[in-house]
Amino acid sequence: MIEVKGVRKWIQNGARRVEILKGISLTIPAGQFVAIVGASGSGKSTLLGLLAGLDSPSEGEIWLDGVPIHNLAEAQLAQVRGSKIGFVFQSYQLIQTLTALENVLLPHELNASGSGLAKARRLLAEVGLAERMEHYPVQLSGGEQQRVALARAFVVEPPVVMADEPTGNLDSTNGKLVLDLLLDRNKRAGTTLVLVTHDPEVASRADRRIVLRDGMIVEDTLFTQPAASEENHG
Amino acid sequence: MAKQALSWRRAAAIGWRDLKSAPAKFSFVVLSVAVGVAALVGVRGLSEGFRWTLSAESRSLLGGDLSARVFRMPNAEEQAKLTKLGAPGMTGPVRTTWTTETLSMASIPEDPVPILVTLKAVDPAAYPYYGTVGLEPAMSLEDALAGDQAVVADEFLIRLNARVGSMLKLGGRQFRIAAVIKEEPDRISAGAGMGPRVMISNATLEKTGLLGFGSRASHRLLVELPVLAGTGKKADAQVAAVRTQLEAALPEAQVMDFREGNPALNHGLDNATAILSLICLVAMVLGAIGVAMAMHAHLEQRMDMLAILKALGAGSSDLLRIFLLQTLGLGLVGGLVGVGAGIAVMYALPHAFGTLIPFHATLGFPWKSILAGLGTGLLTTLLFCLPPLLDVRAVRPVLVLRRLVEQGPDTFKAWIARWWARRLQLALAAVVVVALGGIAWGLADSAKVGMTFAGMFTAALAVLLVLAWVALRTLRFLLNRVRLQLPSALRHGLANLYRPGNQSAAVLAALGTGVMLILAVYLLQAGLLRDIRETASPKLPNLFLVDVQTAEAEGIKTFFQHQPGVTQQLTLMPIVQGRFISLNGKPVAEMKGEHVPRRMLESAELSWADTIPEGDKLTAGAWWHDPNVQELALGDWVVERLHVGVGSSVELEIGGVAHTLRVAAVFKADGQHLGARASFVLPSGLLKDQPAAWYGGAHVDPKRFPEFERALFKAYPTVTVINIADMLERIESVVDQITFVVRLLAGFSILAGLMILASSVASTRFRRMREAVVLKTLGATRRRIVTIFSVEFSVLGVLAGGVGVVFANLLTRVLLRKLEVGFHLEWKATLIALAGTALLATATGWIASYRILGLRPLEVLREE
Repeated sequence: MIEVKGVRKWIQNGARRVEILKGISLTIPAGQFVAIVGASGSGKSTLLGLLAGLDSPSEGEIWLDGVPIHNLAEAQLAQVRGSKIGFVFQSYQLIQTLTALENVLLPHELNASGSGLAKARRLLAEVGLAERMEHYPVQLSGGEQQRVALARAFVVEPPVVMADEPTGNLDSTNGKLVLDLLLDRNKRAGTTLVLVTHDPEVASRADRRIVLRDGMIVEDTLFTQPAASEENHG
Repeated sequence: MAKQALSWRRAAAIGWRDLKSAPAKFSFVVLSVAVGVAALVGVRGLSEGFRWTLSAESRSLLGGDLSARVFRMPNAEEQAKLTKLGAPGMTGPVRTTWTTETLSMASIPEDPVPILVTLKAVDPAAYPYYGTVGLEPAMSLEDALAGDQAVVADEFLIRLNARVGSMLKLGGRQFRIAAVIKEEPDRISAGAGMGPRVMISNATLEKTGLLGFGSRASHRLLVELPVLAGTGKKADAQVAAVRTQLEAALPEAQVMDFREGNPALNHGLDNATAILSLICLVAMVLGAIGVAMAMHAHLEQRMDMLAILKALGAGSSDLLRIFLLQTLGLGLVGGLVGVGAGIAVMYALPHAFGTLIPFHATLGFPWKSILAGLGTGLLTTLLFCLPPLLDVRAVRPVLVLRRLVEQGPDTFKAWIARWWARRLQLALAAVVVVALGGIAWGLADSAKVGMTFAGMFTAALAVLLVLAWVALRTLRFLLNRVRLQLPSALRHGLANLYRPGNQSAAVLAALGTGVMLILAVYLLQAGLLRDIRETASPKLPNLFLVDVQTAEAEGIKTFFQHQPGVTQQLTLMPIVQGRFISLNGKPVAEMKGEHVPRRMLESAELSWADTIPEGDKLTAGAWWHDPNVQELALGDWVVERLHVGVGSSVELEIGGVAHTLRVAAVFKADGQHLGARASFVLPSGLLKDQPAAWYGGAHVDPKRFPEFERALFKAYPTVTVINIADMLERIESVVDQITFVVRLLAGFSILAGLMILASSVASTRFRRMREAVVLKTLGATRRRIVTIFSVEFSVLGVLAGGVGVVFANLLTRVLLRKLEVGFHLEWKATLIALAGTALLATATGWIASYRILGLRPLEVLREE
């Protein structure tokens, strides 16, 4: 579960203080698929970054599964990110010097013990890249790179996956494929999915939609209760 | 309507805006240029200072207006001619004074173990005509050398633990040390000394008994001309007139006058400047290659910008103009930074040279060297940058719409087509090599040296690049085979070597060149010194005697037989003075200007032996059996230089009688036995009744040297002993100083390599930042990221060190083989070179990636 209490974020621009988030409070129960939408500059990516522990709030608290990530030291934050959060970026962010398989393996090597090789191979096969494991990012198309990024986000089986416009750079076919994979994970493993998007169609598939404007939540709609995880109950 | 070209001013403005966007990357580019310029300005500035000092103080450095060096004092007839020196219009008589230099043993009563000193005798009332002998405590030379007094160099006091006021024994006479010599104006003209300076007066020299028959003393006549009536100056014509008279009076003498300075010294300075300048040019070229690589990487990163500019109507020539100005601007700033640093190098270099420079040079503002350094820096940078800059012509504006450009088929035809498309760059590369030869020609003042340098350097660089490429490919091949078995941080660090935009091969070649230069110089030095040391076996002499008189010869032999510690008895070799009259019918007097060592022929040192001397090897002909046969044997190097051989006829005057001799044998001396001392050997019957000086060689247990030398000095105070161990120490210290300077300058090449590494790291800064934050996002700790980057930098360093080490060892092996010296692998130096390069590369890499670790993921990810 993620709890956000009165979070504000500003940046100092010379003498001027620019407020990006102006007091956000919300609770995301485990297993929920939340879409955060809003216009450009509304603060949605900043909020996602704070939830993932990529930056710290100027004010307020963020709790992830009972851990106060707003005031953790860097090394502890790294540990939380590595074990609890999978992140998917709009521009894939693969390491160019590593093969697809090595990119997927990386979080496992950083955070888990034992060989993650079999799991990395299985995940790549699941996202349809069984034949392209030894390829470097530059040899893959955008859709393929994003699928590698998905496999990388899933490899340590994090309870939470954060995705920042994961389909933003993809054509509709590839975009749908990526979204299906994310949703499948959400349904089957009960992973909490927080997704930032511009696309109303993507947002319409979420359990809950949060609309941000000028750094504030202007709408928070719950469509469905999160489905029970198939892996847990099936 | 034809498109108007972009004005230079606008091009400069666009170029400047672009430069400001990546200050860190470009500051390393600037430093790459600065390194070479600094080295060159430093070396040439110092040389300019020396040259200025040599010309401004040429009279002091000579000790007079003219000087003549001879190895025997003039006879009465010559002396009479010397008293008549003069030229019309002079206001007074020409003054002359003699100085004498010889090697001798000296000791102090408290510690009777003698040391070898370079003795100089002067007439303190006249010497020196220019400059002063600086003494401590301050006093006039006349007072200091009055009676039985001597002045000595600091080194003498230190080695014998003596002080001013101590007594010192020279030959058979005691002297009181009156002062320490702080400055001797004509020291540089007085020839190389093998021991510390001791100076006494001419009057007391005779009483020491050191100048026996055949002594190796050299004498210099110093001449001072009076000023001309009316002008108060000394005109060239008068100097020339007196010089002609002097040459006529002393035909065997080496005559110099202040107008030419010191020709040998000037020549040596020219050679040293040329060699050191070329070493600096290596650093400069490496820097230029670094700039070219950086510009290439920069243009690749600016593809989008170039495409946009083209889409907005800019032509290729406009873009070329922008980046040409940018490169020139960077070169100029780098050059100016280099000039500043070069002046600092110039002031620091004399300290590195240490006692190799026997006079104090006046260092001014070396504007000529500054212009040369700046010009060379700019030209080299421009030359090397032109080929990558020309790539802007190939950028297509369609990139604005479509990033992916179709790739052609990978056929041989396509390969040829790709190279054909780059034909202008290839032609330019050839121009660069030729121009490099031209620059080297200018710096070394020799077309042959310039072209050889350009050829060898290009070849060496090509080999290093190939080695670097092979090293990187091999590593990649191995990495691909075992990568999943490697620890992930190591694997990731290694994979980073192949990051797009990394200039790994160039960094390897440049750093490798620096390592190769420094290590090769060290290995050569170590190889040569080891060879000298190892050949000092108990079977070979380690002690040489000089200036033994015929009357003493038998006594000294007996003395050796009764001394403990003598492991090989004394062998004596006689030397008789003779004069060659003609060779193969051609008079020696007519041989001027034929590169024939005339002085060696006119006062030739002859020896006799009826069997081939120990250590000599017969290379042609046969040795005589009859001691009275009219034949002689010649050393092989003499044969080469005089163009004579077995069967040639030689006319030789011995003791006033002319003999015509046939060359019967040619021999090669091994350089370690006494035999090397004599290059002309005659049958004993022709020489043994002539007055002779004897040279000796023996082997004495080194532990017993002090007591042995003490006893010998007591019994034979005028015999000079040259102890090989001491000599080696002296040679080593000189070689050390020379190679230190060379290594110091070669260090600039390493610096240039490190700058290329730094600029390569800085130009991939954005990629590294992104990588670091992605790793952080995935849960990597700071330590992990440090490990990954450190693996990358240190492996690069190890590979560069490896490339340099391999090449240095190959080069040294070839050179030592040419010198007929054995090669041994120096493990310690090799490992230190490897580890040192890795350390330097890691440190430089981290300096160039400052602040990357502290970045917060979101601030980087949001910037995309």
